Amino acid sequence: MKISKKFTSTNSVLAILLSLSLALVIVITPAPIKAQQQQVTLTAIVAEPKERWDILFNNALQKLRQNHPDMDIQIDYRVLPYDATRTQILTALVGRTPIDLISVDQPWLGEFAEGGFLTDLTQYANTWGRESDWYPTNWDGGKYNNKVYGIWAWTDIRAMWYWKDLLNQAGVDPNSLKTWKGYIADAKPLNDALNKQGIQGMHLVGADHSPDMWYPYLWMLGGEILEQKSGHPTNGTYWFPAYNSTQGVRALEFIKQEIDAGIKPQTNHFWGQEFADKKFAVMLEGSWLLGTFPREQWSNFTQSVGMLPMFPVPNETDKTATMMGGWILSIPETSTNKDLSWELLTIMLEPDVLSPMLQREGYLPTQKPIGEGPYAAQLNTTIPYYKEMISMIPIGHSRPNIPEYPQIAENIKQAIDEVYLGVKEPKQALDDAAVNSAKVLGW
Amino acid sequence: MSSIFVKAEPYFFLVPALAILLVFLIFPLFWNIYISFHDISLITILNEWEYIGWTNFIDLFNDPNFYTSLKITLMFVGGSVALQFGIGLLMSVLLHQQIRASGVLRAIFIIPWTISAVIAAFSFKFIFDDNFGILNYILNQLGLQSVGWLSDPNIVIWSLVIANVWYGAPFTILFLTAGLLSLNPTIYEAAVMDGATKLRSFRHITLPLLRPFIVINLVLITMWSVNFFDIQLVMTGGGPLFASTTASLYMYRQAFEFGLLSQGAVAGIILIVINLSVALIYLKFLRR
Repeated sequence: MKISKKFTSTNSVLAILLSLSLALVIVITPAPIKAQQQQVTLTAIVAEPKERWDILFNNALQKLRQNHPDMDIQIDYRVLPYDATRTQILTALVGRTPIDLISVDQPWLGEFAEGGFLTDLTQYANTWGRESDWYPTNWDGGKYNNKVYGIWAWTDIRAMWYWKDLLNQAGVDPNSLKTWKGYIADAKPLNDALNKQGIQGMHLVGADHSPDMWYPYLWMLGGEILEQKSGHPTNGTYWFPAYNSTQGVRALEFIKQEIDAGIKPQTNHFWGQEFADKKFAVMLEGSWLLGTFPREQWSNFTQSVGMLPMFPVPNETDKTATMMGGWILSIPETSTNKDLSWELLTIMLEPDVLSPMLQREGYLPTQKPIGEGPYAAQLNTTIPYYKEMISMIPIGHSRPNIPEYPQIAENIKQAIDEVYLGVKEPKQALDDAAVNSAKVLGW
Repeated sequence: MSSIFVKAEPYFFLVPALAILLVFLIFPLFWNIYISFHDISLITILNEWEYIGWTNFIDLFNDPNFYTSLKITLMFVGGSVALQFGIGLLMSVLLHQQIRASGVLRAIFIIPWTISAVIAAFSFKFIFDDNFGILNYILNQLGLQSVGWLSDPNIVIWSLVIANVWYGAPFTILFLTAGLLSLNPTIYEAAVMDGATKLRSFRHITLPLLRPFIVINLVLITMWSVNFFDIQLVMTGGGPLFASTTASLYMYRQAFEFGLLSQGAVAGIILIVINLSVALIYLKFLRR
């Protein structure tokens, strides 16, 4: 009984002491700041390569956090291979998955917007007031049916790249590559001199994006992929295939001449890596080709690799053309943080945030303050042939961003393949493709 | 009351399996049929779905590319099944002989089946590359001309068949080996005593006893080949000129590349009909 009493009193003392210490800890310890912050995680789906997004998101997130000290903001971004990006984004959006930011390739915009998957950013953009900073073509690329659905963040152009030593070896003057006649004539000496070393003279795209490398020839001749036409059964005035015009036929005839000159279409495409590996002496490829060379080689790049800011032209006096690609940043309709996502998007597009990424990756700006302002000098010293690439922006065209474009591109690809394989003559191939495209467009 | 329960008891045990069947097979099948009678694309999926009757079926049967894809499917499946089965049967019979290290060899032969089809497809894409592939390199070293393995419309489908056979034959080896191991060895001993040669034993004992295994194997590899599109998608994307677009790839491209979900659903229904027909033919053969 005595033992029990002693035990009880000791327990009581211990209990009181513990309660007091606990109360003291609660009173003294300040509540953590994090507990008061609102937790927000922004989600994004973007296309490879990953490094560019790492740079952009890290820099932009710092600024966004500074703007919102009351929030604990995180970004959860998934980087997908280009081929999977469109399908993955669409699947996620059809499933109503909340995503706050996506990268949209320029020709996908119409399909995404028409499907109701993108937020109309017109009001946001008007309040932002930076439209005049953009090159007009690039600003318009983010619009569909006169509404802003995305902001074209950076662009790329296609140009002609060549290895100086290989051309020397074959006795080919780079200037002769400028015209169709010269380009065709140079194919044989290049192949004769280089094939034994396992090097092809000239590259010709035979992969899925072969239409992209044919469009510049169509545009430089004054042709168009599609044109507006009245009398559509349901839409009144709507798009109609125009690529089978005389200009289109001439452009495809040039491709046929390339085949006849022994230039082989390449069904596998490695986005410039095949050129960096010296498997080809001449290649028409996008400005991203620079990224396939190690950064430490950029300072001496112009000594070994030459660049002509053009696609070959019919005659020296003719104006060339190129195709512009690049990425548009959009906010899906399913986003649950639209205001914050827009703020993040605009921070990512601020010249001091975007320029370091462009400088590192070799992409071209879509906004004048970077392309022409003080940032330009910095980019010019770092990115080889930057000035030449920028000079191509005014002659750059973009692909139609209508929902039917993927099927139209498929029709054009078929026509090009038919010419590659000698199944049809250029006119017949394009006319047949245009009939199919007209059907796709609802005519 | 208790007798009713006893009678119903086996059906209660079937409920989990039936539920899975209903949710994962029957419902998607009917959903697919429902979609095929409506106008649903990626552009219209969030709007009200318009009922359009047989229009999608008519459009599909008016598309010459669909008929091309059926012809390509026939070549792909015919070539794949014939070679996959022939090689598989030969290898399983050889490995069933008293060979040293047959267990190790069996394990090695299974390796292709254990890797991802996409990885296999990428490997073959580089092997068959027209300019930089190892196959054309060897041909050139032997003084022969390069072959357009993936760029010649007359050859491309056979390149895909080779890749599919490499990937799929191990399953036949494994399956028929299991069949061979189940055969009673005393039958062969009796046949030897009766003076039967190995070839006659194979023809009159092995093949008839293996028939159920052979039929099931043929059903499975045929259906898989009909439905398979990973190799075609990665190696050629269906080109050139649709020469490697099988019906399954046609379905995928309609639905997910062009966003025409209803068209894809119709192609899917046709694939189901093809699969069911194949299964019925084989099962009829099994019952004979």
